[in-house]
Order: sequence, then structure tokens, then C-alpha cells
Amino acid sequence: MTDRASFLAAIRSTPRGLDPGLPDRREAPDAPTQLRAGEERPDRLQAEAEAASTIVHRVTAVDVGATVASVLVQADAQRIALTTDLAPFADDVQAALVAAGLTVTDYVEVAPDRARAGALDATVTGCIAAVAATGSVVTSAAGAGRAGALIAPTHICVVRDEQIVGGLHELFDGDALAEAGSLFALQSGPSRSADIEKVLILGVHGPGNVHLIIVAPD
Amino acid sequence: MSATREDVGGTPLPPGWAKPAHQPDAFELTTTTFAERAAKTMARPFARGAIANATDHAAALTTARFVGTDHEALREEARKIRAHAIANLPDYLDQWIDQAERKGTIVHYAADESEARRIVAQICTDQQITRVVKSKSMASEEVSLNSALEAVGVDIYETDLGEFVVQAMGDRPGHVIAPILHRTKDEVHELFSAMAGHELPNEAEALTAFAREGLRHAFLTADAGISGGNFLIAETGDVLLVTNEGNGRLTTSLPPIHIALVGIEKVLPRRRDLAVLLPLLTGHGTGQQITTYVSVSAGPRRQGEPDGPEQMHVVLLDAGRSALLGGEFEEALHCIRCGACQNVCPVYRQVGGHAYGWVYGGPIGAVLTPLFRGQEEAGELAQATTLCGACDDVCPVKIPLHDLLLNLRRRSDAEGHVPRHEQVAFALWAQVWSRPLLYRASTAVARGSLRALARNGVVSAKSPLLRRWTAGRDLVVGKRPR
Repeated sequence: MTDRASFLAAIRSTPRGLDPGLPDRREAPDAPTQLRAGEERPDRLQAEAEAASTIVHRVTAVDVGATVASVLVQADAQRIALTTDLAPFADDVQAALVAAGLTVTDYVEVAPDRARAGALDATVTGCIAAVAATGSVVTSAAGAGRAGALIAPTHICVVRDEQIVGGLHELFDGDALAEAGSLFALQSGPSRSADIEKVLILGVHGPGNVHLIIVAPD
Repeated sequence: MSATREDVGGTPLPPGWAKPAHQPDAFELTTTTFAERAAKTMARPFARGAIANATDHAAALTTARFVGTDHEALREEARKIRAHAIANLPDYLDQWIDQAERKGTIVHYAADESEARRIVAQICTDQQITRVVKSKSMASEEVSLNSALEAVGVDIYETDLGEFVVQAMGDRPGHVIAPILHRTKDEVHELFSAMAGHELPNEAEALTAFAREGLRHAFLTADAGISGGNFLIAETGDVLLVTNEGNGRLTTSLPPIHIALVGIEKVLPRRRDLAVLLPLLTGHGTGQQITTYVSVSAGPRRQGEPDGPEQMHVVLLDAGRSALLGGEFEEALHCIRCGACQNVCPVYRQVGGHAYGWVYGGPIGAVLTPLFRGQEEAGELAQATTLCGACDDVCPVKIPLHDLLLNLRRRSDAEGHVPRHEQVAFALWAQVWSRPLLYRASTAVARGSLRALARNGVVSAKSPLLRRWTAGRDLVVGKRPR
């Protein structure tokens, strides 16, 4: 059995290739995944998310609950779970869903039983950030859990305006990921495959119905 | 766990279907030549058309994705990051291992393919794993992991839709990103209907839904999930995985054990390097702004987290990689497996991935396969190129594939692997073409002979001579007739 020392020793015994040094540019290199000058973050987020087949809702804080309820009623979702990172809106959402005649559970209760988690119709999560230039929401193992955003056919994610970063550099250089736990993840629209003759299918292993609720500042 | 298996969601797949039909020795590399394998694909008109269409489409999307940005500066930055990471590989691996272990990842070391198989099989035996869901991993194809696990009584479910088809057909992936590029919807329909035991609708949506149902059941009952890894981040001990279907994340979230098999060259120094590498990987791979799911994990589930595996194992795979360090082929280790070089390669676009006989196709396959499998088995792949340089132009990390292919040819020549008749032919050719009079005479003879063979200006496959050339395309002599 090869151990760490002998494994690394074998690699160390080889000659070293040319090292150009690690680039350390203050300015992020130009990429499609960066925010452009003059762009507003929520606008770019909406445009990129919609380009990836996410359905975007722009609301103020008081309308979050009603928006979630209307999406879930339309999706005919019965088994609905909320994750803990929804916290600032959890009570409102819960109240709106009850008013709409829907029952909800907490994902932390459902998750330990894979069969139950796998049978959910919808999950409603918060996030630790959203990336405007890629149309992505960033979730964490500590908040939405690893599978909270993609276990059910419908996923609704609520993002507050101040959580939106411009591009990938801003995400990785910022502190949004600090408390993510054992995993952080970007999701950008519905699960998709074009494996069979290049025909695009939404909702393969993850949700086909993905909603992003962007909450404007008060 | 087995008691509840049949009570969970999804429809269980027919028992016994999940047997990998391909065995390690089923690699065609050892038993056939490039020309024989290429001829098989070229004899299937659908495969040829589909490969050309799909690769055209992917290449166009990639070009469109970077319009209006300084693409060249981004590629140059990516090249530097990869070159720096590989030049300092032992240090960054050391750092990655420290960080990963600190977060509870159990790290294993596979010097070669057989050790990788042994390690994963041992984990399965120790942890009494009998059912595994697997997310697409080229490293696992390299080591023929599936058959090794089957040998210790593990049922394996490939969960990427394309890989699911590949596994059930006993096929091999035809493209690094799009495994069933070479297969028709009708073939998938026939396969899935047979698995279902009844006729399914012959539509991509219904076929995908069938696979989803069965695989959902597998996700909810598997004892372990096995994945590859797109990057390892040294500063944080992360393993990064990109997928579009979401199977990668489910593989690493739902089963109680996650095992990742990752090549040592996948290491990046810092998370911020992802801001450069990710848009290039996805932009050059599928033309997307970003892959639908990017999952970055370090260690098993922590206290207070609602879900996630209780154990995380990472098997670091060398298997020929360290031997390339510091040498003339080191840059082959910069590859991030995006598949862009396949899409633009005039050879790949005609013959597809299987012609390369092993795991990787296209220009990077023509480089890596001889380096990993040896000159004896795979040396001829260095000839599977027109040396047009399109791969150099498209590579997101600027690997000089064209130079690497030439170096392989030189090495093969220097080691005396060129057959006697070829040496004689080329020596003769050099003699003739370095003398003006003989040169002119030779071209006149060639021109005259071709005209004699041609009908209406074309030498077609019907001609008894030059058949190896004309089997796949017409040879036009002079102007093509209208």
C-alpha cells in the first residue's frame, strides 16, 4: 500500500518544470463571468438567471410569502420543506403557505430519512450569496444543506439584494463562503441534459421548475 | 438498509441490469489498430453526422460565449495558473492533503491503476457497500473501476444520463463531455424499452424520465456515491465537481459514504483561481456561462448540517502522471478535460472517440494515451492528427498539443518504432523530392495515374485501388464536377 510519504516522494523526485509564477492581479481578468461597468447587480442577475431558464420574481420583503405560496399552488406541490437559511422570511412564508392551505415541514427534519427527502415536491431555501454575472445562487451545507436545493422537482430560492455579488472573483475573494460548512454550491437554473441527440431536457436529477425571488432593499 | 430498499421513491431498475459489460481487457487498444476502430465509426453514417453536428454546435457556442471579452488574457492567466500548479505539484498536494484531513477527509494514495481499484474495492468491502451510485468520472474509466467493484459484489449505477446508457449498452463514452454523442435516440429507446419491459414513447423527454425514475431509486438506496473531481483546491482541501444534471451533487449528498477518485494534476492553489478556470472549463466544454451545478466540498457532514455523507474518502491517482513532470510532455498535465480540442479536431470529427481505443479521444487523447499506455500499445495515435493546430488555438489553458504530438512522433522515431517499409518509403521519397527533375517526373506520374483512375474527375470507393483512402470520402482529381 502506498502511503503519503512514498506517494509524494515519487512526485518530488521528478525534475521541476518551468514555473511562470502565480498570477496575482488586483484587477480580475475580463471574463463573461464578471460584472461589466454600469451594470446593476440585480438586473444582471435577473438576465442571466432567465437565460438559464430560471423564473425570476422581483419583490419587496412584504411580498415574499405570497410569492412563494402562489408558485407552490401553481406547481401543485403537496410535500414542501423549508431550509433554515430562509430565516429572515421563514415566518412570513410559513404563514402565507398555511393561509393558502399548504402544509410545510422543516428540511432538517425530513433530510435524515432519504426516502422522505426524495419524495418532496418542493423546497424553499435562502442562500449565502447570489452571483449576478452567472445567474447563480450559492447555497451552503450549513444552510440549505447539500441536497436542499435540488432534491425536489420545484426549488424556490430567496435572495436579498445585499447578498448579490457581481462576479465569480467577488464571490471567491469575499467572505460569503466563510461559514458555509462542509460544502458550498452554485446552482444556475434547472437541472438539464442534452445527452440524447442534443435535445435539451430540463429536470433530470434536479428540479425542472426553478424560481428565484430577489428581494429589493427596504 | 436493505430492508427499506424497496419502500422508497422511484422505480427500482430491473435486477442485474447494472452489470458493467466492459472489462479492463476490453479496451480495444491492444487488439485493434486505429484504422480498424475508425472504420467502425465511419461505417455508421448517423455517428459521423452526429459527431460533426454536435462538435460544430459546441465550438460555435464557445466562440459566442467569449465575444466582447479579453478571451486571450483569460486563457493566458489560466495557462499560468495551471503551469504554476503543476510545477509545484508536490507542495500543493501536500497542502491539499493537510487541509482535507483537517476537515475529516480520509485520503488514499494510488500509485497506479491497480492500486486505485484495490483501494476502492477495499473501502467497499470494509464498509459493506453493495450498491453504489456513480457520477461521471474519466479517472474511473482510466482504472476500469466498475468491473473491479463488480468483482467484489457491488452493483454500480452510472447516474449521468449518457454514462447510464454507455454502461447499459456495454459501450464506452464517445466524448469526454457528451458520452453518447455517437448514439441515436432510437438506440436509447430500444435499450430503455427493453429495460422497462414495455415500449416507452420514443421521445427524449420520456426516455430521460425513465432513467430519472430508476436512478432516483438508486440514489435513495445506495450505500455509497463515487465521483471524480474537476479540481482540488490546495488552500482549503476542497474537491470541486461540475454537472448539469445534478447527479454529481446527489452522489455526494445522499449516500452515507462519498468516495472521490481524482488525478493528482487536478490541483489548483486557491479558490480564487476558480474565477479564471471555471468560466473556461464550462465555456469551452459546453458553451454555458456556468455549469448548472458547481459543488465544492471538504470533508463529511458536520455537526448541525441537515444532510451529507458520514464519511468522505478521496483517492489520489498518479497512474503515469508524475512520470510526465519536468519533461517535454509536462504540459499535457495542464489539461482540465473540457473536450474543446475534440470539437475542433478534423480527425476526431470524422472518427469519433472510440477510434482512440482508450479513455480520451481527440488531440488530448492522442497525446495522453501513448504517454499513459505506452508506445507499444498506443504509439500510432500520434499519427492520428493532421497537425493543423486547431487544438492549440482552442485549448483554454493553451496546451501546445501540436508540439506534443510532434514530440511523440520524434520520440517514436528515435526509439526505432517506425516500421522498416515506412523508413524505406520515406528515405526514397526524400531522395526523389530533393532532385528537381525527379520531383517533376514523380508528380507527372502521380497526376497521370490519378486521372487514369478517376471517373468524372473523382476517384470513388468503387475504384479497386486507393480504397483505404476512398472508403470514407471521394478523392477529387482536378475540379469537382458539378
